[in-house]
Amino acid sequence: MLKVKSGDLDKLGLLYERHKRRLFGFFYNMSGDPNLSEDLVQNVFVRMLKYRHTYSGEGSFLAWMFRTARNVKYDHYKKNKELIQADLSSWDYKMVDNDNAIAQMEKKDNLVLLRKALMQLGEEQREVIVFSKLKEMKFSEIGEVLGCSEGAAKVKAHRALKELKRIVQKMEIG
Amino acid sequence: MEKEVFEKQLMAYLKGTLALDEKEAFEAFLDQNTEAKKQLEELGGVWESLEMLEVPEPSANMDLQFFEQLDAEITKNNSTTTISWTEVLQRTLVGIFRPQLLYGILILGLGVLGGYFIKSGGSERSTAIETVNVSDTRELREKLVLTLLEQSSANQRLQGISEASKIVQVDEQVINALLKTLNNDPNVNVRLAAIESLSNYVNNPLVRQGIIQSIPNQESPIIQVTLANLMLALEEKGAIESFKKLLEKEELDTTVKKKIENTIASII
Repeated sequence: MLKVKSGDLDKLGLLYERHKRRLFGFFYNMSGDPNLSEDLVQNVFVRMLKYRHTYSGEGSFLAWMFRTARNVKYDHYKKNKELIQADLSSWDYKMVDNDNAIAQMEKKDNLVLLRKALMQLGEEQREVIVFSKLKEMKFSEIGEVLGCSEGAAKVKAHRALKELKRIVQKMEIG
Repeated sequence: MEKEVFEKQLMAYLKGTLALDEKEAFEAFLDQNTEAKKQLEELGGVWESLEMLEVPEPSANMDLQFFEQLDAEITKNNSTTTISWTEVLQRTLVGIFRPQLLYGILILGLGVLGGYFIKSGGSERSTAIETVNVSDTRELREKLVLTLLEQSSANQRLQGISEASKIVQVDEQVINALLKTLNNDPNVNVRLAAIESLSNYVNNPLVRQGIIQSIPNQESPIIQVTLANLMLALEEKGAIESFKKLLEKEELDTTVKKKIENTIASII
């Protein structure tokens, strides 16, 4: 990113290839909308270009990138005045013409339920869960993105996970 | 142990970031505290399941748009004249809506629609032959694939590719037919479907080699970008030479050129 900052804009292509899936996954897990997620990934890179002079090289690049991604997401929903709430019915699956595997259907059922539960979490809690599941992100970096300490990020993640578990259990009973 | 300290350690334990001695101390604590252990098991279950949530792959169109924008920005950066933001926006929009890209998007849309209809058709067919045993079914399906791929209608050839995707272990004949489609089919949509189908068998060296060899022959930007994405996902160093050959072509779209250069740099 420092090379991009110093004018070698071509290098942004490398950063894009390296992080596009990660960013797409973040937006997809937050919104459930693949088309919107693609647009928001574009916006992140447009913004990274525009504000490249603000990148100091201190701290983690991932944290800086995801802070930009959060701002892009925030601006999008502010502009469109919508809530981040995907159409839950879109998670319902279609039957596959497989050799009828009941176990596979049950597994799929559970994942559909989990996805729905994730979408029912508050935005901040969903965000901390999505960040925590990124293998490349340490809690110290999550703290950097969320503007809190590493310890506070862990506590937030724990509470979000507990809430997610509660929603899943409630949905299983209901 | 204090509640907050426990919560922090539990999360670090689940994420696997505790040092060995901390991990052992935490496990010893869990052994003596059934309530804490129960909480770990419950939350651990949800944590593990999150791993299995699927995220689709972003489309090749996202790449095309990104490299268009990057290209516009680089051009702007290199020019000495001051250009207003509205002009940049205008340029980008012109770039995005130029016929070549629109054509690509249209083809992609047709592909999705085609795939949808073929899938519904495929399920009916599979019910019809469910009484035949597995090897016979495979043989029949392979024959069906070969016949459909020879048809003059693009729809039927798409159907053939869809049938091929249902075969778990394809034989050389089907692979060659799919590669031939990738290299020679006049319809971009069919060639795209062939890539998708072949990507199921990338562990087969014949398939990998065939795809790599087809790279320099491709002329459609959407196919070039799709192949670049596939090779990037496979981190296939063997494809670099083929991409270099493609880069030598003068008529290569500048956006695709940028994308391929980045793909090569990422694979290396």
